[in-house]
Amino acid sequence: MTIEVRRDGKVGWLIFDRPDAGNAIDAQMFVDLEAAWAEFEADDSVSVIVNTGNGRAFQSGLDVVQLARHPEALKASSRQTKRAELRLTAWHCGVTKPVIAAVNGTCAGGGLHFVADADIVIASTAATFLDPHVSVGQVSAFETIALAKKSPAETIFRMAVAGSRERVDAERARQLGLVSEIVAPEALRGRAHELAETIARHPLAHLRQLKAQLWAALEIA
Amino acid sequence: MSTYEHLVVERHGPVGWLINDRPDVRNAMNNAMRDEFADAWNELNGDPAVRVIVHTGNGRDFQTGVDVGELATDGVGMERYRQSMEDFDVHFTSWHQDVWKPVITAVNGICCGGGFHWVADADIVIAASDAQFFDPHTSVGQVVAIEAIGLMKKMPVEAVMRMAFMGKYERMGPERAYELGMISEIVDPPDRLRERAQELGETIAKNSPSAMAATKRALWGALEAGLTGACKQGAQHLVSMWGHPDQTEGPAAFAAKRDPQWEPLQ
Repeated sequence: MTIEVRRDGKVGWLIFDRPDAGNAIDAQMFVDLEAAWAEFEADDSVSVIVNTGNGRAFQSGLDVVQLARHPEALKASSRQTKRAELRLTAWHCGVTKPVIAAVNGTCAGGGLHFVADADIVIASTAATFLDPHVSVGQVSAFETIALAKKSPAETIFRMAVAGSRERVDAERARQLGLVSEIVAPEALRGRAHELAETIARHPLAHLRQLKAQLWAALEIA
Repeated sequence: MSTYEHLVVERHGPVGWLINDRPDVRNAMNNAMRDEFADAWNELNGDPAVRVIVHTGNGRDFQTGVDVGELATDGVGMERYRQSMEDFDVHFTSWHQDVWKPVITAVNGICCGGGFHWVADADIVIAASDAQFFDPHTSVGQVVAIEAIGLMKKMPVEAVMRMAFMGKYERMGPERAYELGMISEIVDPPDRLRERAQELGETIAKNSPSAMAATKRALWGALEAGLTGACKQGAQHLVSMWGHPDQTEGPAAFAAKRDPQWEPLQ
């Protein structure tokens, strides 16, 4: 398994678990992510989901090493990309419960999907945000499109064309509203759990309705 | 290569420069300058040696909108301006001219009124520490529309509304513009602005020109469509790179820890 799945009260934890590869998304993680989101969505005991990473990085996007050496392994995900039918994030997978992203370190490229598609984002002081796509000859589209609709666009445009050569640090991300709170690295999971439990005091049906309405607002041209 | 009366076009390495050059009137745009903008963007866009474009102003100020003095007195300017706006047939920014190379606006001194067109329509905006932003339209009986609408889609709306209503009676400094994400960098001292813009341009020019062009199309689409619609269009731009040599060169160079060799932008 490339995803660690845990439950703590009403809080479901979805944790990237390829720490030696910066939690990069390989072919197996594509499969595991979709299964993990579906598991929490179907579990009535879970009201809120926290998404974080094991090890130093939060999420470093598509596994470029696998892409360079075994591109055939990523065929299925390429098909999904082409049809705009990715199944990586809660939003892609139709999760109707609130999701908190707790960014514990580097969040790069495809990792930005999980920031863009979360309802609430908090970060540790060690978090940094960058989008290396154009530095490895790739196009940045979905994740930066969603971010440009949720935060000041100039920041996102700059991140997208600067590629691997610039990073947005946690404090700047908080100023711009990409994240709402920064905590010390060792306090991140505790704080995320606290937030999740607070949100879980509300009836799940109400939270679901609210989430659907607010995301619908982003669909208006 | 063309020569211009009211603009300066330069090339420094991979960075093309478009410089407003009517410093005696704070770079206000008259009829001739408006036509030159259309040509200058096309010239830099069509030059494969230019990978990134920087736009700034000669003299103390970046740009102060339309040259109202000339428009009102030359007998043709006002009618032509009215007609072009009615038809939204305008050609003076990189967005109007379909420039899909990264554009950096480097704001020196005052940027006011129509000057916001080039803040709204750039990908990246940096400013000197002496930059000042305000929108005097309403104080001279004019309506602000296009440039404010562009800004409202890119930054917190209240700040844009406030500038529109406060007119010439209030100015925004670079610190607030940075806090709001209207600009991403303040350069101090101000006379380092061009040096820093060139450096930033050269850094960005190391990325795949074709991937940047497709990325830029996808991202500007985010300002036009709803989330799902923009993602679907984004997928088309993303897929447009498949089979392009840069797509295999990038990961190969990354895995081999060497600098990638990009194809020139077609």
